[in-house]
Amino acid sequence: MSTDGLTVEVSHLTKRYGEITAVRDLSFTVEPGVITGFLGPNGAGKTTTMRMLTGLVSPTSGTATIGGKPYKRLARPSGTVGAMFDANAFHPGHTARDHLRVYAAMGGHPDSRVTELLHQLGLAEAADRRTRGFSTGMRQRLNLATALLGDPRVLLLDEPGNGLDPEGMAWLRGVLRGLAADGRTVLISSHVLSEVQQLVDDVVVIRRGELVAAGPWSRLAGPPAVLVTSPDAETLAATLATSHANAGTVLRVDTVGPGLLRVHGLDAPGVADLAAAHRLRVHELVTENTSLEQLFLDLTTGTLTNDRAATS
Amino acid sequence: MTHLMRAEFRRLLATRMWVGLLIAAAVLGGGMIGAMALVGPENFDPPLPGLDTETGVRSLLGILGYTAFVPAAAGTVAVTAEYRHRTAAVTFLFAPRRWQVLAAKLATYAVLGLAYGLVLASTAAAALLTVAAARGVTLGLPAHTVLALLGRISVAMVVYLLIGVGMGALIRNQVAALCVVIGYLYMGETLLMMIPGVNMLYPVLPGGATAALTDFTYVADAMSEQLGSATIQLLPPAAGALVLGMYALTAAAIGLVLPMRRDIT
Repeated sequence: MSTDGLTVEVSHLTKRYGEITAVRDLSFTVEPGVITGFLGPNGAGKTTTMRMLTGLVSPTSGTATIGGKPYKRLARPSGTVGAMFDANAFHPGHTARDHLRVYAAMGGHPDSRVTELLHQLGLAEAADRRTRGFSTGMRQRLNLATALLGDPRVLLLDEPGNGLDPEGMAWLRGVLRGLAADGRTVLISSHVLSEVQQLVDDVVVIRRGELVAAGPWSRLAGPPAVLVTSPDAETLAATLATSHANAGTVLRVDTVGPGLLRVHGLDAPGVADLAAAHRLRVHELVTENTSLEQLFLDLTTGTLTNDRAATS
Repeated sequence: MTHLMRAEFRRLLATRMWVGLLIAAAVLGGGMIGAMALVGPENFDPPLPGLDTETGVRSLLGILGYTAFVPAAAGTVAVTAEYRHRTAAVTFLFAPRRWQVLAAKLATYAVLGLAYGLVLASTAAAALLTVAAARGVTLGLPAHTVLALLGRISVAMVVYLLIGVGMGALIRNQVAALCVVIGYLYMGETLLMMIPGVNMLYPVLPGGATAALTDFTYVADAMSEQLGSATIQLLPPAAGALVLGMYALTAAAIGLVLPMRRDIT
């Protein structure tokens, strides 16, 4: 059980491969106790950044530290950080148990931990089968088991949901939630934004190796909008606009279609009460959460205002 | 470091490669030497001196030196498997001081090389002595000398396995590394010897140094005879051992230094 968390800090990190700059002057921090999503399209530099965090790739300039230390200087690297990169990093002739026993020995972790993790991650039945016959889901579980061998306080997981079916995703979400609830620092990268939407508390968004946005998801997403279906849409829009002037709040009403409005700055009960007070008919009210996908498109096309995209 | 060695032993024993390698040692040692002794070097084409001569016994044992590509290939496979199956990243996550990983591998595979050498030598000795007794031939060398020569060959096998490990760490691509290692040891060196001038280097090449261990001059003599060049003089056994040791050290140094700063992607 972890009590005090470790902060992951990336500071002015740059990686150049010849002419190509994979990561450019990237800075962000990952806090303990929450799940941070590291997001960006394929080739944005997520994997390169995570490999620099774990010392597998040397940065051209800048630093990446875990609890204030570079990975290579950690006294017990695998007991501090659990990292997961490639979904297929197994010797095909090794069984799941062989694989875990090799790395348990290497990290100086007890063999009892191997049995424990095989059970905990639902691999007990497959424990003595060679990994060459493993499904993607089993591979991801074994990968995660490897990362968890040293009961680390920091987890850096590169595309952990890749290739998982919906059931596997639900399982992964549960596991990661539990790990973060223990006070661990959890960074997961993904290019499938809908996959991590229900999971992440904070987000770091990068594109072409540069930071686009970072901060709590709720702040970046802003308050939800309300979709209103009403035969009196025009009157309602006008009423909302007037009430906005009175209340002094930031309120925006967009007419989406005939009889359909999207209201920003007022929640569903607020819209309903206002409509009732003015004897206007409302047929349907739907609260619309900003999707990560929408946010990402907004961020990368630059339509979002600066204060919401401000980096922390 | 003990953690790393325990991990490497677990990795090694988890697949059946080591069983196959030791079987190969018994087949090459006991099987091949036994068969050749049974036929008799004097019946080879071209004929070699018989088992009752010193040259005949040395030649037979010297041929064992030519099987060194087997342990070398095993060392190469072992190291390149980490890159081929992409476990190198996991390994370097668990052991970020990368030279220690390679040091542990070298130590582990030195033990495997020694096991290989001992199986090769003991089965070869058993086969040679049994066949000689059965055929009623008195060997051209006393038994203790035969055993001493075989002991040298065992140590040479350790060296070749480590050369294989070093080449694997250098080249990383499994197929390419195997082609280089097997290709050179199996054919490359023999081809080099056909080039006038270059063949004078033979004594200090791995094959020449190995031949020096058993004073196995047949290949060198045949080559100089065929090319009509001056006789190639092998190094004394001790110098041959030293040269082989240098190759092993160089291979080990390559294995230790190269992965230090290389990006693992």
